[in-house]
Amino acid sequence: MRRTRFLAAICVLAALWFSGSARAGTPPDTLVVGVSSDIHLLDPAVSSDNYDWRQIYPCYDRLVKYKVVNGQGSTEVEPMAAESWQVSEDGRVWTFKIRKGIRFDDGTPLDARAVKFSFERVLKIGKGPADNLGAIQTVDVVDDYTVKITLKNPFGPFLQTLATDAASIVNPAVMKNEKGGDLAQGWLAQHTDGSGPFRLKEWIRGERCVLEAKPDYWGGAPRLKRVVIRFMRESSDRRMALERGDIDIAEGILIDQIPALEKNPDLVVRRYPSQLVEYVYLNCQKPPLDNPLVRQALNYAVDYKGIIDYVLQGNGVQMRGPIPKGMWGHKPEVFQYHRNVAKAKELLKKAGVSRLQLTLIYSERRPTWEQIATILQSNFADIGVNLKLQLMANPTLRDKIDRGDFELCLGAWSPDYADPSMFMNFWFDSNNWGLPGNRSFYKNEKVDALIRKALALSDQEARIRLYGDAQDIIMTDAPYIFLYQTQTIVPMRKNVKGYVYNPMLESMYNFESIYKQ
Amino acid sequence: MRLLRYIAKRLLHLIPVLLGVTALVFVISHAIPGDPARMMAGQKASREAVENLRRSMGLDRPLHEQYLRYMWGLLHGDLGRSVRSQRPVAEDLKDFFPATLELTLASMSLCLVVGLPLGILSAVRRNRPVDHASRVFSVCGVSMPVFWLGLMLLLLFYRNLQWLPGSGRLDVGLDPPASVTGLYLVDALLEGNGPVFFNALSHIILPAFCLSYVYLAVITRIVRSSMIAVMEQDYVTTARANGLAEAVVILKHCLKNSLIPTVTIAGLSVGELLGGAILTETIFDWPGMGKYVVDSVNFLDFPAIMGFTLVVSLSYVFINLTVDVIYAFLNPQIRY
Repeated sequence: MRRTRFLAAICVLAALWFSGSARAGTPPDTLVVGVSSDIHLLDPAVSSDNYDWRQIYPCYDRLVKYKVVNGQGSTEVEPMAAESWQVSEDGRVWTFKIRKGIRFDDGTPLDARAVKFSFERVLKIGKGPADNLGAIQTVDVVDDYTVKITLKNPFGPFLQTLATDAASIVNPAVMKNEKGGDLAQGWLAQHTDGSGPFRLKEWIRGERCVLEAKPDYWGGAPRLKRVVIRFMRESSDRRMALERGDIDIAEGILIDQIPALEKNPDLVVRRYPSQLVEYVYLNCQKPPLDNPLVRQALNYAVDYKGIIDYVLQGNGVQMRGPIPKGMWGHKPEVFQYHRNVAKAKELLKKAGVSRLQLTLIYSERRPTWEQIATILQSNFADIGVNLKLQLMANPTLRDKIDRGDFELCLGAWSPDYADPSMFMNFWFDSNNWGLPGNRSFYKNEKVDALIRKALALSDQEARIRLYGDAQDIIMTDAPYIFLYQTQTIVPMRKNVKGYVYNPMLESMYNFESIYKQ
Repeated sequence: MRLLRYIAKRLLHLIPVLLGVTALVFVISHAIPGDPARMMAGQKASREAVENLRRSMGLDRPLHEQYLRYMWGLLHGDLGRSVRSQRPVAEDLKDFFPATLELTLASMSLCLVVGLPLGILSAVRRNRPVDHASRVFSVCGVSMPVFWLGLMLLLLFYRNLQWLPGSGRLDVGLDPPASVTGLYLVDALLEGNGPVFFNALSHIILPAFCLSYVYLAVITRIVRSSMIAVMEQDYVTTARANGLAEAVVILKHCLKNSLIPTVTIAGLSVGELLGGAILTETIFDWPGMGKYVVDSVNFLDFPAIMGFTLVVSLSYVFINLTVDVIYAFLNPQIRY
């Protein structure tokens, strides 16, 4: 009798959890996104991480936003909280008219004071995001709905920087949560207080974050009621969950798992050309890499096509010049290196270098790097260069890059805003040596002059010309090996509609216009 | 009374242990080349922004001064503020520790519930099919890599058979129970919330099994060998000659005496599970301390690394103390 009861209890237990686990699929008004990394913090004035911005961005409004043209994301901006703007002739003073009727959750209006408070807060805190607004000298309230921003110097990409996460407009009432003069950093690290289409409802650390839609959002109620972001570190977990319908979008699935997903009739795999590029820094201050002929030789040795076909399985294109395709300022006719072993050997001979030994450092930050390093080793061996590979932890790698303590190093870069200066000025200005951008420790006074002049202008045509001239010099100097620009691959359930990819908003989603059929 | 004095003495030993652990981890973690201020500021940040941050984080001070500041905070119950999350480390640990503890307790329960009977059966039916099967089972457990086992379990029970849920502690549609202990199973029971309890239970089965398999195998082997050693002793033969039932001989006279090595191993395993469930937590997206510390190391989050180390070393000390106390109950000859 006791045994029968025990067995019956076991059966009930089993039935209960089977019934629970068999339930697959997510509710129609809820979007579940499987992502690889937890959030660190949620303060737009502190976070420099795209994985944080994914949650922060939809909770706030900004003065401008990226345009969507024919259902495609573009790199041009259009009004958001700002209705219109004017710029002075010298390009230093920007006056914005702010849209009336936008309110934060507690009823505080989004006005000129809120804009001034938010921008000044970012600059006062002075952490990573402050660099995006670093051109600002003063922010003045002209009247309730007019704000005047004065720049230190004319800055071509200023308007673009206002679409970044750093320019999110925060409710000034957040200061009631300030502790010990921290400008409410402690509180905003874990909460949101913006006027965007979503608000943070729940964040269970290491597990999930839930964003709740605001039905009274001034730009129209989002079609989703809530968005659940599940933190799932393993690519295979995300893949299985997507196949079973437990999540609707899976981010960062490894390339070798994509073909299997493409065969699944319930899924759709979308591919977008991204602005994320991978390249090799050649330390121009370390002999013999201080000789442009040696750097050119290394550029000629690389099998670009082989890397793209084998490592990316075709999901990328070789870079032509430093500005990727899709960003204005890209120069389609600029010189491009191709594998030419004979030419590479000849250049080495001309440089008077033989039996060259070099070391390439890299980390496991990107899954592709191990394979690329091995291919480079084999490619360089073909021209008689012995490449030693050194894998290290990412913080150590960053430290070495910052101090210039390396010969060759693998790197990846994506722009924060849609402006070629994110590549040209960051990568080549000799004032930016080290981690801030010029990681090949390159210095060419002519290039410095051209790109600095371009940065200060607001005339796009003139800037394109200047950047174009600089690119020609750079390709001859060859301070980097430009490998490829990647494709962003987003697998999702077939019933997810309205997704718009924007290369400026990597890992961020337009939750406000996504819906499920 | 003597036992209490012994416990108090062991607790006093904590002070040098903690001093040693904090000093060692502090020096080692600060010796890693890398700059937490740079990690925090973001890689494109200007040098000026990084310098400001370094000053505000106190990283520009000499190492001994940083250590003394940390210890002073620790004396006042302050584990510092995480570089990554900007929150007090104690709060971070409060969020992540219960998940690891729940997984550890579930795994240990599984180890004991399955490992003990299997070990006994194996010893009693020595060199018979049950024993051979148990040995094969144990060898598989010891030799199977955790990440592979985890993936296979997910593939079979989650993706193909769809019997059990995949990763996480609860289904997306369910809200966690009100936090009392932080252990979902316990909190759901306290709340009387059946659906959440069963859902949490179904979520913990695969990771708990995956995590426990290695230790399960070890415990089975230990119980088997110590049971065999005890069963060959004279007093067991005497007990049998006195006509005691076989079950009484095995469970009362043999098992109790063979438990000491098992308790030692189980105690050490709990300590290891608390600090080393990183792979299992990663594969099953279990939001525990393993994931937390890996992220902290990658980010050079010194206060978080220190906090984690302190919790794990404290757990070790307490578990070893518990094991020692259990010895006294198992074997009255052991006196403190």
